Amino acid sequence: MKQYAYYPGCSLESLAKPYQLSAKEVSLALGLDLREIEDWNCCGATAYFPVDELLAYTLVARNLAIAEKTGLTDFVAPCSACFKNAYYTNNYLKKDPDLADHINFALEEDSLHVEGTLKVRHLIEVVLEDVGLEAVKNKVAHPLAGLKVAPYYGCQLLRPRKDHEDVENPQYFEELLSAIGAEPLEYASKTRCCGASLIITNRKAALEMVHLLLKEAIERGADVIVTTCPMCNVNVEVYQSQVNREFGTNYSIPVMYFTQLMGMAMGIAPRRLGIAREPVPKAQAPVSA
Amino acid sequence: MTAELSFNQEIANMMYATHGNPISHCLQCGTCSGTCPAVEFMDYTPRAIIGMIRENFKDEVLASNTYWSCASCYHCTVRCPAGIDIADMMYALKRYSMWKSRFKEGLIGPDFSEGFVKMIVNSGKSFEPILATTYLPKFSAGDLVQEALTATGLVLKGKIPLLPKRIKRLKKFQRMVKRIIPLGELS
Amino acid sequence: MNVQKRLIIIDDDPDFVGGIKSILERAEYQVDTAYNPKDGFQALQARRYDLLLLDIMMGRGAEGIALARKIRKDPKLREMPVLIITSVREQIAFLFPGQAVHPNFVDVDELVEKPVEPKLLLEKVSALIKAAEEKHLQPQ
Ligand code: SF4
Ligand code: SF4
Repeated sequence: MKQYAYYPGCSLESLAKPYQLSAKEVSLALGLDLREIEDWNCCGATAYFPVDELLAYTLVARNLAIAEKTGLTDFVAPCSACFKNAYYTNNYLKKDPDLADHINFALEEDSLHVEGTLKVRHLIEVVLEDVGLEAVKNKVAHPLAGLKVAPYYGCQLLRPRKDHEDVENPQYFEELLSAIGAEPLEYASKTRCCGASLIITNRKAALEMVHLLLKEAIERGADVIVTTCPMCNVNVEVYQSQVNREFGTNYSIPVMYFTQLMGMAMGIAPRRLGIAREPVPKAQAPVSA
Repeated sequence: MTAELSFNQEIANMMYATHGNPISHCLQCGTCSGTCPAVEFMDYTPRAIIGMIRENFKDEVLASNTYWSCASCYHCTVRCPAGIDIADMMYALKRYSMWKSRFKEGLIGPDFSEGFVKMIVNSGKSFEPILATTYLPKFSAGDLVQEALTATGLVLKGKIPLLPKRIKRLKKFQRMVKRIIPLGELS
Repeated sequence: MNVQKRLIIIDDDPDFVGGIKSILERAEYQVDTAYNPKDGFQALQARRYDLLLLDIMMGRGAEGIALARKIRKDPKLREMPVLIITSVREQIAFLFPGQAVHPNFVDVDELVEKPVEPKLLLEKVSALIKAAEEKHLQPQ
């Protein structure tokens, strides 16, 4: 089994526990050996940059250095915000020797050294590239036939911009959902920001952003919204009642991690995937908008 | 005596290491504003803010809520035909305003960033933004978060810990931080 | 003094730079300025300076620290005295309230906090230049 240096990130230790559980179960079943790196620290999400970007890079670099020490070649994060931070910091360290020097001087305090040699990847990329759609299909025990899914990519999985991905209209999430027998919907909002980083600082804006995501998914007849990020997932899930109050709507739609849906299709017990509310296909035809 | 630097040049200096083009390349096409999911909550649109920086409207720019309303979603950045990293510029404005304590009254963003960074420096780990209000009583939005949690079927095994876990090598971690931001003895 | 001393200020705050520049010029120093670390380092490589006045918070963050370390590793610049001038205490004191800037974070020669007293500034500047010259004259 190929081993990966695994960086769960802070969210997966609390509100996003279901993501942690399902990511581990599904990876194991797919033959991916995720090795959690030791004594990792918070990568800062989006909140350090307004204070000191060099500090932000340093905190990320500590995790990269710990991962480099394991001798593994791939750094895997299930959280899109963590992924983006690690991906870009890793690149900048490689490109900017002065930055690397400065940060390595700080890392000496913890007997660490960073080179920027890791391949930084999001968990969904590992599933698609290292396991592949065919192998995923072969693991499916209960195809999720008839389940209409709104695939939500969010921001940081795709942006600012990586190598040559289609950042405006990616398709790989849809392909993965088809592989497990579900029905991916056309979801125009799939790369639109959910506003998670504004939920405390600009609540009105964030609720409006969640509102738009829910509205489109429900109008298109989705049974479930599926995400690749704990920030997005929690944000879109827990604020539904407040959206309803603010906008006079009556939305109630499950929001799940892609690993939970995969686990269901692979026949893993919902309990072991942290599933609280199993999505059931609604027989009705999608309401046209 | 040299002429003093304009605000436009000050921001250019803040962004000297940006990975995009300088804002002098801006075509004022408005693609960023048209893309921005938070634009209707901003005092000025991203395009307007760039125009105002270039015209040196320092006080107006700093007093606006625009840059603290940016969600860092990078949608504008990937679409800008002039290759400007607008999200990065918003971060530069946030830093500028924090370093100089010059931001619009009543914004939560600066306080929140401060609380967040403090938390990480003290423990090595963070809460999630979603839970932040329960950790930071000064925002007194704890009730709303509680409501959000109970209103949904979200399962939380066990109680929400009051503080995030600490990393093991916290002392070394803090000394590391101090090599980047050199402040006095850490407790 | 027969030869005019040449100083450089690397600081992103135009008001502050304007202020100390005129203090120093009135005291007969030649003063160059750079407003970000990159321009600053280029200026340092282009010609010799008798002293550098360096700010901490610039650009991405505490860049002055990174620059001071880089200078101390550069064989051509290593001997140049560096005076750190900062208001970092106000800027990011919230991280560690009540604590002063740590004096020994990097091997620089002096540190003063903003706002700077003109008299104190001139004293420090001339003392640092003098010390550097004496060190240079002494046989190693
Ligand atoms: S999209 Fe780019 S070029 Fe167009 S207005 Fe915005 S910053 Fe300027
Ligand atoms: S990065 Fe900020 S300014 Fe740009 S589109 Fe997103 S929220 Fe708007």
